Amino acid sequence: MAAVGGCGWAAVCEKFRTARTLSTVESRKDPETDPYRSKYSARALLQEVKQLLSAAEEGDEARLLAVRRAVLEYELGVNHTDTEELSAGEEHLQRCMQLLEPHRLSPDCVSLYIQAQNNLGILWSERDKIKTAQTYLESAEALYNQYMKEDGNPPLDPSEHFMAEEIQLTDQERSKRFEKAYTHTLYYLAQVYQHLEMIEKAAQYCHTTLKRQLEYCGYHPVEWALNAATLSQYYLSKQCFMESRHCLAAASVIFSQAGQVPSAEDNETEQDQQDLRQRKAEIARCWIKYCLNLLQSAQKLLEDNIGELDPDRQLELKAQRKKEEDEKEKGRKKAVLFGMSDICDSVLAMEEKVSSVYPLDFQEAREIFLVGQNYVQEAKEFFQVDGYVTDHIEIVQDHSALFKVLAFFEEDYERRCKMHKRRIDMLEPICSELNPQYYLLISRQLQFELADTYYKMMDLKVAIGNRLEELDSHTIKKINSLAQFAIKYYELFLDSLRNPDKVFPEVLKEDVLRPAMVAKFHIARLYGKLITSDSKKQLENMQTSLEYYTFLVDYCEKYPDAVRAIETELELSKEMVGLLPTKMERLRAKLCPFI
Amino acid sequence: SVEGDAIKVCVRVRPPSEGTSLSNGHQGLCLSVLSSKNIRLHSKPEPKIFTFDYVANMDTTQESVFSTVAKNIVESCMNGYNGTIFAYGQTGSGKTFTMMGPSESGNFTHSLRGVIPRSFEYLFFLIEREKEKAGSGKSFLCKCSFIEIYNEQIFDLLDSASAGLLLREHINKGVFVDGAVEQVLSSAAEAYQVLTMGWRNRRVASTSMNRESSRSHAVFTVTVESMEKNNEVVNIRSSLLNLVDLAGSERQKDTHTAGMRLKEAGNINRSLSCLSQVMTALVDIGNGKQRHVCYRDSKLTFLLRDSLGGNAKTCIIANVHPGSRCFGETLSTLNFAQRAKLIKNKAVVNEDTQGNVS
Repeated sequence: MAAVGGCGWAAVCEKFRTARTLSTVESRKDPETDPYRSKYSARALLQEVKQLLSAAEEGDEARLLAVRRAVLEYELGVNHTDTEELSAGEEHLQRCMQLLEPHRLSPDCVSLYIQAQNNLGILWSERDKIKTAQTYLESAEALYNQYMKEDGNPPLDPSEHFMAEEIQLTDQERSKRFEKAYTHTLYYLAQVYQHLEMIEKAAQYCHTTLKRQLEYCGYHPVEWALNAATLSQYYLSKQCFMESRHCLAAASVIFSQAGQVPSAEDNETEQDQQDLRQRKAEIARCWIKYCLNLLQSAQKLLEDNIGELDPDRQLELKAQRKKEEDEKEKGRKKAVLFGMSDICDSVLAMEEKVSSVYPLDFQEAREIFLVGQNYVQEAKEFFQVDGYVTDHIEIVQDHSALFKVLAFFEEDYERRCKMHKRRIDMLEPICSELNPQYYLLISRQLQFELADTYYKMMDLKVAIGNRLEELDSHTIKKINSLAQFAIKYYELFLDSLRNPDKVFPEVLKEDVLRPAMVAKFHIARLYGKLITSDSKKQLENMQTSLEYYTFLVDYCEKYPDAVRAIETELELSKEMVGLLPTKMERLRAKLCPFI
Repeated sequence: SVEGDAIKVCVRVRPPSEGTSLSNGHQGLCLSVLSSKNIRLHSKPEPKIFTFDYVANMDTTQESVFSTVAKNIVESCMNGYNGTIFAYGQTGSGKTFTMMGPSESGNFTHSLRGVIPRSFEYLFFLIEREKEKAGSGKSFLCKCSFIEIYNEQIFDLLDSASAGLLLREHINKGVFVDGAVEQVLSSAAEAYQVLTMGWRNRRVASTSMNRESSRSHAVFTVTVESMEKNNEVVNIRSSLLNLVDLAGSERQKDTHTAGMRLKEAGNINRSLSCLSQVMTALVDIGNGKQRHVCYRDSKLTFLLRDSLGGNAKTCIIANVHPGSRCFGETLSTLNFAQRAKLIKNKAVVNEDTQGNVS
């Protein structure tokens, strides 16, 4: 080793090591008034080393010298960017790359070259030039792939260039560090793609980052599980149920590891325990959404134009499923699988507990429903109403939604009615207790949902009644009472829109326009459906009904922008406004036939 | 009416620090106030004009800031509505001056006292007036708490011994800080006393734990409870008035508002700490699909969730420093203030009755 051989070299290595310790360990203890103190000392040392190296004679070991210089340039580059001197940092990093350029594919340089590019990516993102950052990071990614294809042996870690030979790293350690540098590349790329709004790519890189964290054991179980669960929600929004389920299954499996690991000193605070329970409940909530989305998407596929299950469509989809199932899914699966063999088995076992294909009949739907319902119980264990009002109610709303979609698959109207009754039983007590002063929006959601549920139940009772020869008094009473409840909740909802002086708004805001109109429209219909043998009462109901229909028509005339939101309802309202007065006239004539 | 629930946004321009404006006229300023609603930022190449509900010029008095911005909120608080007043802006832009008044005067009658002491006065003035009107049939109970949010942890400024309080929700009372001291108030002077005491705790903390005051949010909450007896019927009404001094806006770079900056991976293996943020962003963009985001909002937004687009009356006072050296911060404050008008609670009424019109 040319001029810096022997014990001179040992001193150089020592200096280098001190600089690294200063930079990575000591600097964390620097006072806030002098935050870069250790970094500056490290920089001075690195520059000394650089001096010593350049004093060395060039010649026989030019390549070795260039690589060592590149390591120093890299360290100096990182040091300068850390201390907010971006331009200087960029120069050093560029020089590092220049020095390495000819050797970038050799095992002693490739890792350093990738890390230099990673750092240039960060540097350019700090300058708000995300596209430039992207080019560096993508080129780092390409280099990794090329190296792995052409060579693939564990490459040297940059720090080894200043290490005595006898303490060089093992192949295993080298590989670990190299892979970590590459994981960082992918992690930065995930961010770059997110900033560039390349959502799909961002998700894909998040996925790969998670996968690699798992492979190289560089993860914290709870954090990892939560990330995987969050990613599952992305896949949900894309209707990729297989991927979503895989993420969730992996999240659950990895999370359970966190519980098993006996805590370091076994002095976990209550707070930590609490956090752990909350995370578990969060993952359960992701599962609930999974079941719900799967069921709801299936409903969308299966319903006819009045929202009922379409048997033809059902048969068609069943046939189609048989054909596709095997071939397609398997190909996709390979690409996204998490984990090494042992974890993989647990994940697969977890996956088997719930389907990832659209349920096509009640039985299939029920199985998914039950899984969802179990997770509802699990999530509620932590998110109790006392302390977690919003979360608790959201979970109850999901539970209600699970019942709602299950009811779609139920053919028996009586049983369907009972499912809706379950929804009412869970929502009504919360709704009555909830203070709208603090929970206005949730309050409205509950009122509307309750109204809607009563409305549906009434429709079902009417349908059941229609099958009978004659409506018995019990059924009539039931229908009327359901209709009254529906009216009550629609009115409560409409009242919530009133201002402090109890005046209904002249102009409805966009976010409540459609629900408010639907509420008015449904109230109109409900008054039309009330059954009474008293003609005078009937006339009154028709009058009320007409008023509500008229509201819709008048409002849309005044604010034509509203028409878009309620086209169908408006059309029917117009029709009713035309028909009702004649009908009422006839009824009146019947009442007083002698006039 | 519509005006009722929108967030009101006001901008207040503080006078430049001594020396800057006098020596070089208006040269050293990066903005000019055009009217009581418009402000022009001297950006290049094109100047940019911002419109707000109210723009307070450098010479606007404390009194007129109070009466334009806060009076109405205190009044609606008396009518049973929750109200919140935020101060936002970079360190040195005059947040504390606007909210508290000159720091050196512990004097509550100082003519330069800020929005908070004036709100107290007005609140108790209204309470007295109500009491006189209603006679013995109506009584009031005022309580206050004062907390600080630093590093996503909650501290009680009225009990300096406590640490790490939790946010919880009550089905009838909304969000609250579990275990926070509540002090009963009987007059504005008392309220001011509690406030200054707490404020002092805030500063003490800033030296003992080496944190800067501008890194923490301080939330002073007054609960007004009224009880009215009509024959045998007892009518209880309760509302909150939140007075919030936000951390200096320049400290918030690390949050979601950050631009293109990439989060670096830490030295420790596991710490690819921003992955969660990337994914939360991906899920957030989701297209109306049902989904659950595992990562909670910040403590502050959770605590004030109701104020941000709920049915509370909320006002944001964005403070800016007119010096041209502050151009960047001023621009970002004005941008924030403009966005604030659009803040809405994301929840919607789930209306799904397709196919039900038959």
